[in-house]
Amino acid sequence: MLTCKEVSYLASKKLDRKLSFRELIGFKMHTAMCRLCRHYARDIKVLHKLMLKVGEKGQTLLPESAKLSEQSRDRIKLALDKALQDDNKNNKFIAD
Amino acid sequence: MTHELSSPDLWLPLYGDILYRYGVARVRNSDSAEDLVQETLLAALKAKDNYAGQASEQTWLIGILKHKIIDYFRQLSRESSQGFDEQTSIKKESDEYFNLKGNWQVELSTWSKPEQSIEQDQFLMILQECIDRLPSRMSQLFILRELDGMSSEEICDVLSISTLNNLWVMLSRVRVQLRNCLDINWINQ
Repeated sequence: MLTCKEVSYLASKKLDRKLSFRELIGFKMHTAMCRLCRHYARDIKVLHKLMLKVGEKGQTLLPESAKLSEQSRDRIKLALDKALQDDNKNNKFIAD
Repeated sequence: MTHELSSPDLWLPLYGDILYRYGVARVRNSDSAEDLVQETLLAALKAKDNYAGQASEQTWLIGILKHKIIDYFRQLSRESSQGFDEQTSIKKESDEYFNLKGNWQVELSTWSKPEQSIEQDQFLMILQECIDRLPSRMSQLFILRELDGMSSEEICDVLSISTLNNLWVMLSRVRVQLRNCLDINWINQ
């Protein structure tokens, strides 16, 4: 009989790969009798699906209020402006 | 439908915060995330002539950011002197979740019920907090796998994990921790 710890590993691996026949039998036998592991397997599956859904929507888990700081915004703007200028100069150079 | 790019000087006001949120949710460090936004926009500037218009501007920029994030993780794994592969046995040792016999030491959780949807903002916020509490390498692993749906093989490569088995052991640990954290912090109404 597998331990809960081993079953928790299989429950997690199961979200990634098909379990081998032997692994699956061990998993099923244990969870048939162990409520804690049954719940655990269900919980991490719910979590797995939720994360996938959030990822697919392109959402992040962060609230809209997480923003670039003013300082870094200014810094990035400077760097971009400089790169844009160089870019334009090069284009002009090529055109000439 | 083909898309067109707006003028590069609009990128920062239009997408700066979106890119930042995307980045910081993954690298979990605001300074690094800000640097990544800058690198992304500069790279986009260089690549703008190659934009084929198949993806929307935002998707295109996030695609560039994704590559930058992967480079960032690769570099971190290279720099870190500690291997990622330590402590990857699921056998003997006890921890706060399992006793020496390998039995659960935590109570039955209550947050996930089959009939109930948990896509609430509040739940997502707690989830983010729980992810933030993980050791940083563990959270990178979890985010790449779950949020970005990266394959296990790719993750092993990016994070320098030597075997798939080690990856699974680590993922399993992360899930035990996260589930427990959610259980403690999510108060079901």
